[in-house]
Amino acid sequence: MKNHICLLIILAITACTKSYEVPTQYSDVEGQAPMYPDYKDVVIPQNIAPLNFMIKDAEGLVVVFEGDRGSCLTVSGEDRIDIDSAEWRNLLTAERGGEIKVSVYANLDGWKRYASHSLTVAEPIDAYLSYRLIEPGYELYRQLGLYQRNLENFVQNPIYENNREYEEENNHCVNCHNFQNYDTKRMLFHVRAQHGGTILTDGDKCRKIQIKSPDILAAGVYPTWHPKMNMVAFSTNKTGQVFHMFHREKIEVVDEASDLILYDVDKNEVRNIIATPDFETFPCWNPAGDKLYFCSAHVRQMENVPDSMAAEVISHYYDSVYYDLKCMSFDMKSLSFGKPETVVNASASHKSITVPRISPDGRYILFTLGDYGQFHIWHKSSDLWVMDLNNDSAYALKEANSPDVDSYHTWSSNGRWIVFASRRMDGNYSRAHIAYFDKGGKAHKAFCMPQRDPEHNILLLKSYNVPELTKNAVRVNPEALRRCIYETAGDTARFTGNIKRCIDGNTGASLQVDGKTGASPKKK
Amino acid sequence: MKRTARTGQKLPVTKHKSGRTGVRLPILPVLPILFVLTYVWAAWYYGDVLRMARERSFWVAAADQMDFLLGKEFGGLWYIGRMGLQLFRYPWLGGLVLALSVSVGTWCVGYSMRLSAKWRWLQYVPAGAYMMYIAYEGINWFHENEGGIILGIPFCAVLILLIWTALIASFSRKRMPALIGIPKDETRWQNGAQLLMLVAIFGTQVAWTELARPYTRVIARENVCLLNSDWKGVMEVARENADISHRPIAAMYAIALVETEQIADRMYDIRLDYDSLYLHSQSGEHSLSLNLYQEDCDYYAGFIETCIHHAIERMTMIGPNIHSLELLTKCSILRGETEAAYKYLRILDGVPFEGKFVKKYTAYVGDSAMVADDPEMALIRKLEPIHDSFENNYQQPTFMGYNLALVEGRSKNALLNSLACCMYTKVMPAFIMRTAPLEGQTPPENVCDALCLMSSKDPGIMKRFNGLDLHYSLMTSRIAEMKPYMKDRQRYARELFPRFKGYYPYYYFFGNLKATKKRSESASSSAGVN
Repeated sequence: MKNHICLLIILAITACTKSYEVPTQYSDVEGQAPMYPDYKDVVIPQNIAPLNFMIKDAEGLVVVFEGDRGSCLTVSGEDRIDIDSAEWRNLLTAERGGEIKVSVYANLDGWKRYASHSLTVAEPIDAYLSYRLIEPGYELYRQLGLYQRNLENFVQNPIYENNREYEEENNHCVNCHNFQNYDTKRMLFHVRAQHGGTILTDGDKCRKIQIKSPDILAAGVYPTWHPKMNMVAFSTNKTGQVFHMFHREKIEVVDEASDLILYDVDKNEVRNIIATPDFETFPCWNPAGDKLYFCSAHVRQMENVPDSMAAEVISHYYDSVYYDLKCMSFDMKSLSFGKPETVVNASASHKSITVPRISPDGRYILFTLGDYGQFHIWHKSSDLWVMDLNNDSAYALKEANSPDVDSYHTWSSNGRWIVFASRRMDGNYSRAHIAYFDKGGKAHKAFCMPQRDPEHNILLLKSYNVPELTKNAVRVNPEALRRCIYETAGDTARFTGNIKRCIDGNTGASLQVDGKTGASPKKK
Repeated sequence: MKRTARTGQKLPVTKHKSGRTGVRLPILPVLPILFVLTYVWAAWYYGDVLRMARERSFWVAAADQMDFLLGKEFGGLWYIGRMGLQLFRYPWLGGLVLALSVSVGTWCVGYSMRLSAKWRWLQYVPAGAYMMYIAYEGINWFHENEGGIILGIPFCAVLILLIWTALIASFSRKRMPALIGIPKDETRWQNGAQLLMLVAIFGTQVAWTELARPYTRVIARENVCLLNSDWKGVMEVARENADISHRPIAAMYAIALVETEQIADRMYDIRLDYDSLYLHSQSGEHSLSLNLYQEDCDYYAGFIETCIHHAIERMTMIGPNIHSLELLTKCSILRGETEAAYKYLRILDGVPFEGKFVKKYTAYVGDSAMVADDPEMALIRKLEPIHDSFENNYQQPTFMGYNLALVEGRSKNALLNSLACCMYTKVMPAFIMRTAPLEGQTPPENVCDALCLMSSKDPGIMKRFNGLDLHYSLMTSRIAEMKPYMKDRQRYARELFPRFKGYYPYYYFFGNLKATKKRSESASSSAGVN
């Protein structure tokens, strides 16, 4: 019975939807179709959901997809198209490795045909993309959540949502979700404010931990899960926000201090990796697990600044903080780190590097380069760059970048795709963008993650934050996570190791007091 | 035998046993009277409050965009309520629907409860309770209350009652009471009791609003005038209610003065002592009123980025709302963020009755000439900061703190705003420093008074500006008048206000004393400019 009702509804909807034939009379227009979102001349994964788009003010739209290998698909709509998923999948499967020519006819005071564009069908992308949906920036948060989108269709499921109804005693934020090796078996994210802690999942089980100790700077922040061991390296940051009054960037997020810590999941132990007056942040393991990359800034103006003054001082010098890319070797047997070595000296050219991510084959480091600071998600100067470790050359991914913010990127598990957050669509709300990264190390034009309604990205008042690709869906359900968050206080991690962060009583400067890591203190 | 009077008939005259003659009151159709009274209440008396509730709410048909609401408990009901609330874009229209719902609901109560004529006055209790609740919440409807409640509750109640009524009507032989006509089963006393009930409901509600929450309608009226850029209206409302002192009233008034370039002339025409407001947050805790005017003050003071900051935070906390989206649209246009402006306009396009705004500002997007020709935007351009700095560097709220610290402005308007802030906060050294560009000129009224006041410490002031002599002689006599009251300024402040209304030295000595005291107690703290 239910099926009959559904069928009737579908028939009723279909009956109301206008469809058009390919026009026989039209005028040719120079230039390509002014489509939204822009899917012109992009390389797309074979398994991507239909690339629905719209043309503003059109009173009829016909789109013809013609593959190199003879496949053909014609779709029509009023001012937007809603491509049938099965037909789309057949088209991409048939044309894998080839090109699809796309002809767009739009009725704008008479039928017009735009210059055709192409879609190149390449390797598949990991099926799932996790992200946080949150209002852009600023201090307050309310309803937000971590979500997982199946890139092969339009299904978005919540991983976890905070309280929808405002309750002061339950109000909390979630952030920094991370997975081990593109697999959702092991996942973590932080809960801030009420019910705070770090949530770790293992399959369908989850638990809360508290990474706190007087010997570490603050709680764990930016995570990177060791690819082979049940360990997570975090940065630990003292972070503040300031708001511009007459500036295109709007917001600055600045660290007053930051270190790196290592958390052993099995033993529930935490220790400092590096704790110097310099700012170390955004750790990232290489795929072999024997190197830890991170960003580090030496801020001369912060020397001898007491903690009580740190926020004020850093807000004066926020635009002269430059992060270099560094790395340390890691011995998986002794769990010890080598000396930090500079990989890219960005500060020398008054630039700043953040969020290093190593390609799955270990050859490329993808990072964001901006004019200053560490929170490039609000810096219009930020662009994606890669460094080829085979020849130590670093270059911008020009085809994928935009004049606006391009940041917070992730690789696909096959290394052929990068997904990142970009504010290119309106300058304010970040959207997940996908770009092909070919075997020659070149990135191609990025396109926005497709939505069933192409207008979705205009109508949504939240930003896509921290996109992370995984091969499979998250196994733990939101209700189990909710119980874990609400009903457990979380075990506090034991502090181990002999690198302690101590505060100099006079200057407030933090010093590393042990050299086991080889990261020698710069100042005593 | 009972007699009934019909409209238009001569009133029947009866002779009492005592021989006195009296007028027999006709039996009146009470439900239509309820409809009219509710309509007058909702469309006129409380219309501005309900209009503002609509402006701080948001409704579009698309469920995806309303997910933030539909995912809540009773979200579906509030969705319907918000849909109805949109009609209050025109209170005469919203009032009509509300009055109809209340009247039909009341009739259903009477019938479904099977109230006899004797007890029919009870059928008005739910309507009375509902309207009292709306009045009790007052300005909370455009602060953080769920606006969908306003029409969601009557909708839900009427729906349930109609179903109930239909069920009863199917199984009962009882005749339905008249909805519009004159009830035939009522005595005069029974009819009178119902009329008395209406008088009690509306009388209590109006009396309570006027006596206990007199600011509610004033704040709403000012806000509506502001939405219409009716600066004269804002000023008139504020001055007519000069004795009602609350921050939102003063903030709207100050905006109107800035827009009409009178901020340094007329700020002290209203009392600025700030009584407490009944205002609470979503969690039910007492809330400061800053959210009611912060975005507007940011915008009209020329702080575009700060306005964007606070508008987005307001939407983060209470969800999208029409007013914040409109401000964001204007800010995006002023900043040349074309795509962002189109985004907000597209969202607003889905909201009923926003077509005019969308049409007007769509034309502005990317057209700098139109922006420059717009008086409101042109003035904002004159007030924008010259250099970047951080909000965090200033005392809060930023629109005050920045102007207190202003060292360089784009225009004389910016200078006058800064002077007005210094005078308002009584930070006189900063005030004197900022008057330098006006030397050799005749400064605005309030500035002249403030300069005369400061001349006791720096007699040179009198020579540096024109037109101070008259102010000085006036000041001498008026200060002498105030002198006896100086020993207990807190006590006499209100009493003296009508005498010294508009006069800066009065404000300096007697105005805003709570804030002045607080400020002197925490002089080293960077928080809180009142």
